[in-house]
Amino acid sequence: MSYISSYCHISSTIYSVNGQVANTFESGTLDEIISELYTSLDIKYSKFHKMDQLSKIGFIGTELIKRDFPAIDNYGENDIAVLFANRRSSATTDINFLDSYQDGGIPSPSLFVYTLPNIVIGEISIRNKWFGENMFTISNHFDANYFANYCDILLQKSSEAALCGWVNVDDNKIEAFFFFITKKDIKQLNLQLNSEKLTEIYRAI
Amino acid sequence: MENLKRELKEQIIERLNLEDVNVEDIADDMPLFGGGLGLDSIDALELIVLLENDYGIELTNPEEGKEIFQTVNSMSDFISRNRK
Repeated sequence: MSYISSYCHISSTIYSVNGQVANTFESGTLDEIISELYTSLDIKYSKFHKMDQLSKIGFIGTELIKRDFPAIDNYGENDIAVLFANRRSSATTDINFLDSYQDGGIPSPSLFVYTLPNIVIGEISIRNKWFGENMFTISNHFDANYFANYCDILLQKSSEAALCGWVNVDDNKIEAFFFFITKKDIKQLNLQLNSEKLTEIYRAI
Repeated sequence: MENLKRELKEQIIERLNLEDVNVEDIADDMPLFGGGLGLDSIDALELIVLLENDYGIELTNPEEGKEIFQTVNSMSDFISRNRK
């Protein structure tokens, strides 16, 4: 049996933690919204500015979970699995990379390194020194059943906890949902992990 | 030469997305890699692209980069000798 011990949503207009709206955004470009989020959270990490949008949102979502669940620091470096998914892979960055050399220019190395979706997991793992299991999958929609089953297997075998994320940054919109799975109901949110509960809180905002 | 150094610092900040860094933060003799500005290997590739795109200088021997990209001083010296 596993539990959802923290969760957050990020959209282009709002972000929330455990279902409570934490902040709303003025309208702006995606870069402006991400920059506002980063500044408002007072995160200091110089490499953040080099990341593509997908990695930035994954990074910020992870920071929100960490702040809501400080006991995350008590886990060992191999204890936390990172399980992410989205519907469009790294297509936005892939297209930007293509544009960087289409008119005879030189391909941008810094764009190239983000032309895989799982780089977001790498950025999070580097920042937090997490070396546990990880997986990034591509799916047309948020698949609660997949996340619930995979977490069950991970927490029965190799992992003590799992950070999960459905992270979409496309068509100038953000749609992201992060949740942290633990073996015990440490925060007593009373959210036992199953696909129905996961779907319910995914849709809550 | 001073104008070129300032131009280089502005380009480094813009191309490498060093949003927390100002021109004044980069001393002419500050190491760009390692403990100085803390650039990494991807940044090095971006600097090679910068040389080619903005100054028409193509680095054919990657080993040269170690010397050229040590500081803004070494970069500006190399550019002024080789720009087309």
